[in-house]
Amino acid sequence: MTNHDVVSLLVICQLLAPAATVALVGLPTLLGRPPSEPATTRIVGAGFTIGLLAGLITLGVLAVRGFVPEIVHLGSWFTVGHHEATIDLVADALSVPYVCFSTGLCALVNAFAGKYLHREPGFTRFFLLLAVFGTGMNLMVLAGSIDVLFAGWELLGISSTLLIGFFLERGNAVRAALRAFTTYRICDVGLLTAAVLVHRAVGSGDFEHLFGDNWPNGTCLVPAATATIVSLLLVFAAMGKSAQVPFSGWLPLAMEGPTPSSAIFYGALSIHAGAYVLLRCEALLEQAWPARVALVVIGLGTALHANVVGRVQTDLKSMLAYASMTQAGLIFAEIGFGWRVIPLVHVVSHAILRSLQILRSPSALHDRHELEAALGGHPGADPWSIGKLLPERLQVMLYRIALDRGFEEMAMGRLLVTPFLRLLELASRVERRWLTLLGGDAGPGGGRP
Amino acid sequence: MTGGLLSAAAIAVAAPLAVAAATALGAGGGRPRRLAVAAIGTSLAASVAISLLWSRTDGTPLAFGERLGGGSLVFIDGITAVLLPYVAIVELAILLVAPRRALDSAAVARLLAGAAATFAVFLTSHPLVLVALWIATALVTWVSVRVTPGGRPAARTFAIAMVAAVVCMGVGTVLLLIDPPWATAAGWVGSTGGWLVAVAVMIRKGIFPFHSWYPSLFSGGPMSTALAATMPQVAAYTAVRLLIGHVDHPEGVAAELVVLAQLALVTAAYGAALAIVQRDLRSLIGTLAMSQSAMVLAGLAGTLPMELDGAFCVWVSSGLALTGIGLVTWALESRAGPIGLDTPQGRFWDAPALAGFFLIFGLAGIGLPGTLSFVADDLIVSGTLDDHIHAGLLVIASTVLGGIAMMRGWFHVFGGPLAGDGPRHAILPRERVALTGLLAALFVLGAWPDPLVRALDRATGRLLGVAAHAPADERGPAAAAAADLQDSPHGS
Repeated sequence: MTNHDVVSLLVICQLLAPAATVALVGLPTLLGRPPSEPATTRIVGAGFTIGLLAGLITLGVLAVRGFVPEIVHLGSWFTVGHHEATIDLVADALSVPYVCFSTGLCALVNAFAGKYLHREPGFTRFFLLLAVFGTGMNLMVLAGSIDVLFAGWELLGISSTLLIGFFLERGNAVRAALRAFTTYRICDVGLLTAAVLVHRAVGSGDFEHLFGDNWPNGTCLVPAATATIVSLLLVFAAMGKSAQVPFSGWLPLAMEGPTPSSAIFYGALSIHAGAYVLLRCEALLEQAWPARVALVVIGLGTALHANVVGRVQTDLKSMLAYASMTQAGLIFAEIGFGWRVIPLVHVVSHAILRSLQILRSPSALHDRHELEAALGGHPGADPWSIGKLLPERLQVMLYRIALDRGFEEMAMGRLLVTPFLRLLELASRVERRWLTLLGGDAGPGGGRP
Repeated sequence: MTGGLLSAAAIAVAAPLAVAAATALGAGGGRPRRLAVAAIGTSLAASVAISLLWSRTDGTPLAFGERLGGGSLVFIDGITAVLLPYVAIVELAILLVAPRRALDSAAVARLLAGAAATFAVFLTSHPLVLVALWIATALVTWVSVRVTPGGRPAARTFAIAMVAAVVCMGVGTVLLLIDPPWATAAGWVGSTGGWLVAVAVMIRKGIFPFHSWYPSLFSGGPMSTALAATMPQVAAYTAVRLLIGHVDHPEGVAAELVVLAQLALVTAAYGAALAIVQRDLRSLIGTLAMSQSAMVLAGLAGTLPMELDGAFCVWVSSGLALTGIGLVTWALESRAGPIGLDTPQGRFWDAPALAGFFLIFGLAGIGLPGTLSFVADDLIVSGTLDDHIHAGLLVIASTVLGGIAMMRGWFHVFGGPLAGDGPRHAILPRERVALTGLLAALFVLGAWPDPLVRALDRATGRLLGVAAHAPADERGPAAAAAADLQDSPHGS
């Protein structure tokens, strides 16, 4: 067995371990016999642990060999004419550390949630969705082709939506889930179109044909014009998943989901999925200065917006959501500046800190009381803030802007969503009148078998 | 081999027809479902036998019977081999999930007669036979809707549309037979015939501006009838047999295909957008079905094999997924009445298993990775973008809007607090079997799509082979190879 075979086996294991847990928990549930709570957490936990161990061993093997990338060809999914969808995975200096990090976080959250959601209705559903998320994450991170990356990306979006709407009985949760899904779906257009363009440009979706396999020093193998268009589409896709302005409104609402999923999705992994895709395609960005400029502008704009708005939030999870958005914006800007390792370190450190903060957020009041009891009173004056250096009138103006969340939602609603929905309502009314004219009125409840 | 194929074809049609006649005469007693399931099960077995036998051939279509003006009474090719089992699976699932009160002897007889006619459609390429079968399938649907309490408005709308479609189809077919574009250079008569057939296909497929009957059938008719009438896509099959394959003719019917494709694209996007603001679940399913059906036609009118492959994949994947959603809806309605979408209905707490099935079918219908719809979306988007950028963008818009509408539907049906303290409604074993079977088909074909895609590519290459003039490098290898072949559904 060669080194390549060993790495291939380990990479497949990283992917299949969480995927197998989806089947092991999902199939019995679908057939009406869901596993017990302890069995569910053990199965999902085992999947993530095996994935993590396989990742760590792969990391060791790669480190010994100087991080020479290994491409794992799992064959062709389907082929039509010149369009070949290949199942390629890549183990390199970006994917393997990231998969260890993400699988490790998933394993920790699995352990935390086993206690946190004990006897909660929907316990099995949560862990099933966590396993789907882990599978999607590993698929996206290990993807060696844009087709595989897109599959992982879609799984992330779907599991995220369903976890935001986990508490189905709450109207706010349902609305927040729909809001997030709509944003994801619109921005996914970017990735889908980019995938088609990549196929047209290089005849397949393989990254090695697009920018070689030497991260972070890949070479763009397509013309600059193609690289620019594909990069701009990738930026558009990343904006949705990473909650960048003007697609950021869903993130604070997404905190309606259970705390463990909020931690791993909007503090740690999902919020950085866009940044990961951009880092993976850094060689394309290298050739696409308009995309890099766009990244810097969008990233800094988002950071500023989220920083200002986050200061007036009155609940902890919303504050943390805007704090995450701020950091995600800065990471976008760093990628736009052409840095590679700094944004990666930023992603990992921010993810660890933020997920810890979100996981601790339900205990924040308790922590505060403990602190005050230990100190024997209030811990001290409010911390210093840069905002206090601004002129008072500007502070008031910014406060008003922040209360309205930067008018982002108002602008999107008034300029795009409401007119579009009104147009559709009008069309629907015309359709109903036309049907009444054609067939007459069925009356209430008419036509039910 | 030929004998085997013909025998299987005869069994596929005769089994439901015979049981329909027997049921109408009172056989089956109070339990007509068993007989009906046996009949459609036999048709399914025969369809699978046709597919297996077909896979061992060299790909030359089996044409049997008189060729009165460009069609065989029995015609079996790669398209038949793929679509016939699909139709049988849909019909079987409908029978298994149908609530008992919706399956009296008369309803079963109509369902089986409609199924037999639909199987027959997929086994012929003869224009006159297709006209006759259009009438038969439409008649069965109309009667089923009309006898439903409160279904008369929908039946009237359906009747208006179908009469227009059948008249256009009949006159168009006769004109095509008088001045066949596949035999000689067509004059204005053949050209008019082609346009009339195209209009008939538009009406029968619910293409804008003739789309209104489509959602109306779902909201006003029995779910079984709506699904059985729309999911097989008889009009799309007719377009495949009568319109594709002539486009290389200097005065053929290529222009009709172009117009059909453009209107189908508009319908796909419009239907998906309209689905977002529907106020009841049946209308949502109806408009989504209309959108998906139009997307199939848009792909079929393409000039690249990949577009046609994508269209056929959408045909099968959206059909299986929408059948699943329709059946779950039917099961929910049979327990607790009609389902509105204006506010969250809280049905999750009432029927969690059905919620799970609805969700997975919904996701499988909007491109969930691992299901056939993911492959279908990939193929049709790539194919249409390769062909025309605006077409690709409209297809993308349709998938985006359709996805949003689907998730809105799921959250509004199953989200929200449960009103009242009614008992939980467990899923019935036969419902679970049927829905699991449909899901399994979607996932197996999604995880291992290559055999299906290759079979389709071979068949579509042969379809376009007589027509495509694109350079070989712009077509798939199958199409390029097929361009050399001289035999076609209509002969050359």
